[in-house]
Formats: sequence, structure tokens, C-alpha cells
Amino acid sequence: MAKKTVQKAGPNTKFIGLLAVVGVLGVGALGYVLTHRGPAVIMVDPKIPPGAAEGHLMGKADAPVQVLEFGDFECPGCGNFATVTEPDVRTRLINTGIVAFHFYDFPLSQHLNSFTAHLAAACADDQGKFWEMHDRLYAGQDEWSDLLDPAMKSPLPVFRKYAKELGLDVATWESCVTTQKYTAKIKGNQAEGNRRNVAQTPTFVIGDKQVAGALPYDEFKKLVDGVIADAANANAKGGAAKKPAGK
Amino acid sequence: MTRRMAIAVLSLAGIFLAAYLTLYKLGYIETLACGSGSCEVVQASRWSKLFGQPVALWGLGFYVAMFALSVAGTMDRFVESRNVSLGLALMSGWGVLFSGWLSYVEVARLHAICRFCVGSALLVLALFALSALDLTRVSAASTDPRRPQA
Repeated sequence: MAKKTVQKAGPNTKFIGLLAVVGVLGVGALGYVLTHRGPAVIMVDPKIPPGAAEGHLMGKADAPVQVLEFGDFECPGCGNFATVTEPDVRTRLINTGIVAFHFYDFPLSQHLNSFTAHLAAACADDQGKFWEMHDRLYAGQDEWSDLLDPAMKSPLPVFRKYAKELGLDVATWESCVTTQKYTAKIKGNQAEGNRRNVAQTPTFVIGDKQVAGALPYDEFKKLVDGVIADAANANAKGGAAKKPAGK
Repeated sequence: MTRRMAIAVLSLAGIFLAAYLTLYKLGYIETLACGSGSCEVVQASRWSKLFGQPVALWGLGFYVAMFALSVAGTMDRFVESRNVSLGLALMSGWGVLFSGWLSYVEVARLHAICRFCVGSALLVLALFALSALDLTRVSAASTDPRRPQA
């Protein structure tokens, strides 16, 4: 009698059942992580004084909406925000005078090259090119964020290349970085984040809301619109909402 | 359950694993549930992208292709198809080589281990083993003189 070599084909209840189980578990797990994206929006007092920290300002200081970003140059989420969302934010909200955008250094300790990156940006600020260096660092994050192999212990050569590209006086800039001239300023910005219970990067303070995560433009705009609407309502009610919101 | 069905189930699990890492890399998920591992170091490294796209996204494409081919291979008209078996074996073989290289990068270059990457590498290894067994089965069946001629 010939041995049967052909395997059973066609619909198989066990197979479909297993696929369904894996599918449901997978969709459930992905759904969970997407909807539980760290701390949700928390309410903060928009009148919290900024303390000794200075941040880096883009836009008109007296814009109606003040936005604070606590960012880490080596964090992928910050890089995503800087390269995907921020161009739209600049064009539509900052350049139009609606938003004043303040970047606060918040280098995370697990990101080994981040502090040097923050020094590189702070030192570029000495020559009026903080935002240019900010953009270059985020755009080139893959080039320097993981320089952990023994042959490339320092990200400085990459940052030096950026400094040259941006037309900085490289010797002055490098001396500023290697002497860690702006350590106190960076730590001051970081302390401001700690004071506001910033737990991850990027974290944004927009009006009375503190939101963690790389916000897409629509979500960012909705929060900005909310601040404007609140201010308009307060004005309509005769409230003294003359101070710019956000700080 | 046939080997191709097992391949389909494992590939579906791989789809979700790769989707999770892709969503993280694209910024939709802030932190990876990595425990004591070093997922972030690996995911932020320059090796986490290939041709401008996250490696996890290529992985997602790989698992989707494996899933589609293996499910197609369970249909009556393809159940004895050697081409399906060959396709599965070639794809998973390539996957083993690529995963092996990524594991080498993690250990030797980054000195960091991402649990999800290790999980994916084991998954790919299992897919290759099943695909090789499936290819052996179909090849043996096609050369079996007792096999009825079409």
C-alpha cells in the first residue's frame, strides 16, 4: 500500500485559529502601546516662571503662544519631531508670529554623545548659529548618535565637520566645546525640565498643557489653537489674559 | 498542521514584532519595552537604517512576504509547488544571513543587545529551518516514482 506523502491542504481550523490568536494578540499589543504613549497630557500652571534657565528662542519673544520644548539631540523621537514636524511649525506658526518656540536642553544620561551635541549647539550659538547646528545635529543623528565602537569614541569629528559646513570659526567653536563653556547653561535648562517633571524627550509645554512625545503637526496645531481660543475666551469675559500664555 | 502553516503563524508574529520596532523608529512609540536590554542604543545606531529606511521596516516587508507566500502555499493548487518551497527557503536563508550580520553588529560593534532583535533573529532561524524541511519534503515528493502524474 502506497504511503501517503501529500500533506493535508485547504482550510484548517487549527491553522486559522492560531492565525486569529496571533493576530488578535499582535493587534492588541500594538494598539496598547500606541494608545498608551507614556504620560498623557498633564495640566500645568502657565505662569510658572522660567527660572534661571534661558533656553534658545526662535520667533518673536512676545508671540501670543509660548511653546517650550525639552529636547535631547540624540533621542530618535526628538529627531523625528525636528525633521518631520518642525519645518511645518516654523513655516506656519513661528514665521507667522503666532508661536515663540523655546528649545531647552534636556540631554538624557543614557545617550552617551548627547551632552557633547548640546555643547556643540550651545557653542554654535556663540556665533549666532544655534538653530543651524540644531538642525544639522538632528538631520545627521544617525551619523553620530551611536559612535560607540572603540575606533570612534568621540562624536567631535562629526560635529567639527558640521561646524565647517555651517561656516563657523571652527577653532573658536572647538575651544568652546572642549572647555565645556556652556555646561552650566545646559544643566540649567535641564534643571528647568526636572522642575517641571519632564520624564522623557521631547516634552512640550504649550499653554497650560505639558505633552510628551514627537507630536505630529496637526496635534501640535490643535494645542496652539487651544491656547489662542482660551486667551480669546478670557478676553471676551473681561479676564486679564494679557500675558502671553505658555511660560 | 503543515510546515507552511507553521511558517505563516511565525511570520505573522514577526510582522507584529517588526511593526513595533518600525513604529518606534518612526517616532510613533516613545520608548521600547526593553527591560534591561539596550534596544535604544541599537535602534539609534547608524546600522538601524538601510537605504534610508529603518531596518525594522525592511524586516516588516520580509515577514509580510513570508506570510503571503506561506499562506498561498497552503492552498490546494500550490500545496505541492516546489517554487513556493524554494521561495520560502531562499527568502528565509537571506533573512538568516542578514539577521546574523545584525547580531554581529550588536555584539561586536555596538556592545548592546536588543531583545526584540534577538527575538526576530530566532524567529528567522525557525522560519529557515521549517522552510528547509518543507523544501526537502516537496523535493522528495516530486521525485517519488509512486507520485501520481498530472
